[in-house]
Amino acid sequence: MIRRDQVKARLTLNAPLAEAVLTSFIRDAVDTSGLKGVVVGLSGGIDSSLAAALAARALGPERVHGFLLPYRTSAPESERDARAVAEHLGMPHRKIDISPMVDAYFAMESDAGPDRRGNKMARERMTILFDQAKKLGALVLGTSNKTEILLGYSTIFGDNASSLNPLGDLYKGQIWQLSRHLGLPVQVIEKAPSADLWPGQTDESELGVDYETADDVLYLLFDMGLRPEEVTARGYDERIVQRIIALEQQFRFKRRLMLIARLSGSAVNLDQEIPRD
Amino acid sequence: MLASPRTRQTPRTSSQIMPETPPTLLTIGLAQIDCRLGDVEHNAERHLEWIEKARAAGVDLLVFPELSLTGYRLLHLTPRVAMPANSPILRRLAEAARPMRVVLGFVEEGERGVLHNSVVLLSDGAPSYIHRKLYLPTYGIFQEERFFGAGRRLELADLPWGKMGVLICEDLWHPELARRLAVAGTRLIVVPSASPGRIGAGVLPESHESWETLTRSTALLDTCWVAYCGRVGWEEGSFYPGGSHVIRPGGELVERAPLLEEHLLVAEIDLRDSDRLRWRLPLLDDERFDIQGPTQGPTEGPAR
Repeated sequence: MIRRDQVKARLTLNAPLAEAVLTSFIRDAVDTSGLKGVVVGLSGGIDSSLAAALAARALGPERVHGFLLPYRTSAPESERDARAVAEHLGMPHRKIDISPMVDAYFAMESDAGPDRRGNKMARERMTILFDQAKKLGALVLGTSNKTEILLGYSTIFGDNASSLNPLGDLYKGQIWQLSRHLGLPVQVIEKAPSADLWPGQTDESELGVDYETADDVLYLLFDMGLRPEEVTARGYDERIVQRIIALEQQFRFKRRLMLIARLSGSAVNLDQEIPRD
Repeated sequence: MLASPRTRQTPRTSSQIMPETPPTLLTIGLAQIDCRLGDVEHNAERHLEWIEKARAAGVDLLVFPELSLTGYRLLHLTPRVAMPANSPILRRLAEAARPMRVVLGFVEEGERGVLHNSVVLLSDGAPSYIHRKLYLPTYGIFQEERFFGAGRRLELADLPWGKMGVLICEDLWHPELARRLAVAGTRLIVVPSASPGRIGAGVLPESHESWETLTRSTALLDTCWVAYCGRVGWEEGSFYPGGSHVIRPGGELVERAPLLEEHLLVAEIDLRDSDRLRWRLPLLDDERFDIQGPTQGPTEGPAR
């Protein structure tokens, strides 16, 4: 039995311990790979800022390479905040404008709507990050959190692609908590989360649910194993609960890298689960 | 003055009055190490390093974590790292450890092509005792029954200081095993483990809070020493928190290794402390085996 007013406490983290565990994760992954550091796309948002801050503490800021990857319609505050974070952490950073590459493609696909354009931008950034990682001898640091992974709120093979992700088991509220603990710039913590793929976009309006509610409902459904009617019985809006369940089901495909048709008795990842470590 | 008859005899040493008892004081070492998944050669080299470290620290009995020679989350790599108990690698480690006793974890190639999650005791230059994990967790993140066969025997190991029981990780979550070991005469239970960590709001990882609840309860209820050796490091995105520790008979924490880093925890333990507690708290002596009632598992539903 868990009451609604107990959920917040269950989602509270021992922040110094979380920091110790996640920095050890980053160090271990980089050491095991034999590479020198990580690259991270800095959007000026809280997720990429937190990932960069953890990496800077894990490896030293000089081994964390930030990339500001704006499109010509990106909000100027995004670049300003990304720069503020990089300077706050003392890490090397560089801006690469993705407009020429994205525009070159859409000159041939002029009927594309905002969804396709947004996805293309996310994947353009991904190819740049992996190329820079190759150039610098680094791994690509992922920045997707647990809430957006469960809700499928990402571009597959775009912003959800990475070599290691320290944030993937943290709900959005825990991201905020850890960011405050690490002392990230206040404007980064307080601004409304946005993918910034088109002007005025915010996560919460697009998802149709605020993060605080989404975290609670996801926790009750997935961590506690409650049924939908048991969640609504605790005072959560039924339409919101149904919306969250629908999103989770619709986008499950984004969480699996490859769907392989099994023919033999030794299909990769099905019959043959070989650990990557 | 009447001389008592005794004064005319040669004074007797205590060993003549009391039967000779073996020394009960030993120095235990818990090697809280990281392991490289699937790389037996590398891990064996590291065991040799830690054996030397422990020797320098005066350790008599050195305990490594579960599957210390192979890493834990092997999945389909399991058969590739399996070896019989008399394999050259184990003999080499046993030889190097002399005169120290070493407890380590490995994938054992058993009879009939069955692989076991086993712990071996190396003494006097040879493997002298094997414990095959009895409870193989296959739920949540765990998949052990897919790759291992469960052990079928619970036995005590002989040490110069007395009997020792070994329970591997999940085995401790089934408290009748520790009870049986204690009733059969052990005053020390060692628990090699590879238990993935979880954290919450608490000072210690939530997973570790459970472990200390278990080890302390065992030391209290079974009135024996409990030495828990956990590992550190990462496998497939899952971390092992460490926090190896020694619990005195009665449940008091003697010492805990730090979290998240390799560490050799050294503690002096006197197995007599277990007897001393048992004189005051005779739980084992009071244990009854004649109580009738449900003992054969579920009384309803299909037999498993």
